[in-house]
Amino acid sequence: MKTWSDMSQVQPLVAKMLMNSIAKDRISHAYLFHGTKGTGKYELSLLLAKTIFCQNRESTEPCHKCVDCHRIDSGNHPDVHQIIPEGQSIKKEQILHLQKEFRYTGMESNRKVYIIKDADKMTGNASNRLLKFLEEPSKLTTAILLTENSQSILQTIRSRCQIMSLKPLNPTNIKKRLEQEGLSSSNATLVAALTNEVTEGLEISKDEWFANARKLVVQLIEVLQEKPNEALLFIHNQWMQHFKDREQLQRGLDLLLIWFKDIIYKQVDHENAIIFISEMERLDKSSMLWSRKQVTNTLGEIMEAKRKLDQNVNPALVMEQLTLHIQR
Amino acid sequence: MKFIIQRDQLMESVQNVMKAISSRTTIPILTGMKIEANENGIKLTGSDSDISIESFIPKEEDGIEYVEQIEPGSIVLQAKYFPDIVKKLPQKTVEIESEGLQVTIRSGSAEFHLNGQDAEEYPQLPQLHTEDSFEIPTDLLKNLIKQTVFAVSAVETRPILTGVNMKLEDNYLNFVATDSHRLAARKIPLEVDTTNMTFSSVVIPGKSLNELNKILEDTQENIEISVTENQILFRTRHLYFLSRLLDGNYPETSRLIPEQSKTVVHSPTKELLQSIDRASLLAKESRNNVVRLSAKENNQLEISSNSPEVGNVMEEINVNSIEGEELKISFSAKYMMDALKAVENDQVRIEFTGAMRPFIIRPIDNDQILQLILPVRTY
Repeated sequence: MKTWSDMSQVQPLVAKMLMNSIAKDRISHAYLFHGTKGTGKYELSLLLAKTIFCQNRESTEPCHKCVDCHRIDSGNHPDVHQIIPEGQSIKKEQILHLQKEFRYTGMESNRKVYIIKDADKMTGNASNRLLKFLEEPSKLTTAILLTENSQSILQTIRSRCQIMSLKPLNPTNIKKRLEQEGLSSSNATLVAALTNEVTEGLEISKDEWFANARKLVVQLIEVLQEKPNEALLFIHNQWMQHFKDREQLQRGLDLLLIWFKDIIYKQVDHENAIIFISEMERLDKSSMLWSRKQVTNTLGEIMEAKRKLDQNVNPALVMEQLTLHIQR
Repeated sequence: MKFIIQRDQLMESVQNVMKAISSRTTIPILTGMKIEANENGIKLTGSDSDISIESFIPKEEDGIEYVEQIEPGSIVLQAKYFPDIVKKLPQKTVEIESEGLQVTIRSGSAEFHLNGQDAEEYPQLPQLHTEDSFEIPTDLLKNLIKQTVFAVSAVETRPILTGVNMKLEDNYLNFVATDSHRLAARKIPLEVDTTNMTFSSVVIPGKSLNELNKILEDTQENIEISVTENQILFRTRHLYFLSRLLDGNYPETSRLIPEQSKTVVHSPTKELLQSIDRASLLAKESRNNVVRLSAKENNQLEISSNSPEVGNVMEEINVNSIEGEELKISFSAKYMMDALKAVENDQVRIEFTGAMRPFIIRPIDNDQILQLILPVRTY
């Protein structure tokens, strides 16, 4: 359970801004929290909702104990509405439901809060519907939109929200925490680069699947360097066997992305930033083989592949296309 | 919490409360049913957040004991399983006991253990103050609903119109519904003094009223109505029906009703209704279901409809009287039929103010019921 004082350590700027507007009773009708994974967007939105509803709040701090606080934590508060993507996107019907909800008076009070997770996943239709009632907010509603990518939200929606940028956590802090938990230095660096949460990081590092995934990424690089003609075979026989669903494949591509970033760091002699520290020799080889321009292009291709996966393109085809591009 | 209860009594209450519970809800706790025991009896609550129904089983009534050995407490049980369990229990009495979040249901030799949820998590229904309430007979309320709710708007473009406006004015209770093409209004005098009431006008969702109409029985018994800031409560002896209200201001409707008229028709309701029903048979084919009415000499009305692909229909009916100017007017047959059905009298008075102006329909003997319809422009 997070409190404002916890938050002001992790996100000093945003926490300060929000606490001030609470203290001055000037809570905006719509917020857009944007920040990378693990920066505490959701926790912050719950905290704000609690502050609004808590019955025995002391200055800005909700009590975390009363019925309202409890129900917000368990998702049972009748006047706090949470919308999470159904499958790949937030559908029009979900926003319709929300709209209906806000034409009615509140269940317990007339104060209402809605939290939309992954707001960038709204379909075009859904965004436009939401826009309509962001434009004409009633006095006592507060919208909190959460997103990892504020650029893919409609410009018209963004302009109607107060945008709060949560700054990314410092990976070195997480790395240190992970090392304290008993991870090897090389593992900790890699995991810290993938996630911003210590608990999630620990889970990943203990997962056998992840260890294999890491091995496979290194093997793929090797195949691409040594026997490029076999790359497609490798993708089919081993890569796709291991990265079975989209989420796993995304993780694999993340690792690949880190590898190519490392090559660039190596080429510009910025070795402190390198993440695959245990694979220095291979990185050496890679940085000799590919020019900086090639690597930059490849980074672009990997990003493109990740985007295509989100858009439901066949995973095997995405990987094939990516390897062909890298070979070129 | 612990109590022993008559199964039939429990079953009836459970069935009433189940009407409010929907499996499609975004708030997980609302898939459950709240059971609350205190010294006076057992209270069951169900809700889909729009409407909530509470049913109370008294400890004893008319000398019959319904509930025994009450130890106070409360719990929320999964509404998916609880009703079926109660229905299929072997004995006439049921013992329900909760310890922590574990609930044991015993009847005869059958014993169920259910996982419950914390009753603290359940939405708190507003505390209603009795001084802000008034009473009317249940069957009258049902009539009020039936005569107005059909006219609420079915489209969401103006959300406030999907509800019925309930207004207290000069000791009259007014119900008004409109979808901006027609309007239905009914008012009844209240016996109590309403000047001290803290509310004067609220908008109740049409859906909730339809639901309420289904649940209420046709009795002369009084029903108590009270309003808080955000909910309205209808209370019969053992059943509480709560509905959330629509947020916003209802448009001012009194100015829409024309004060003068140019043509007044007195007609038997049933004949007119049937004739329009016949004419609309052909009109249904064309998009808007329009029939045409013209007032002729010798107290005759001509009802006709024409849809070029199908054919046409023409009928003359005798009415009691036609006063004023000659008139030709077209209107939606459906609206007219709805309105005529809502007028509870076998004679109606229809007042027209020209072919392009709205007209009103009233029963001949009182002005408590009013139906207003906008004509359709035809060329």
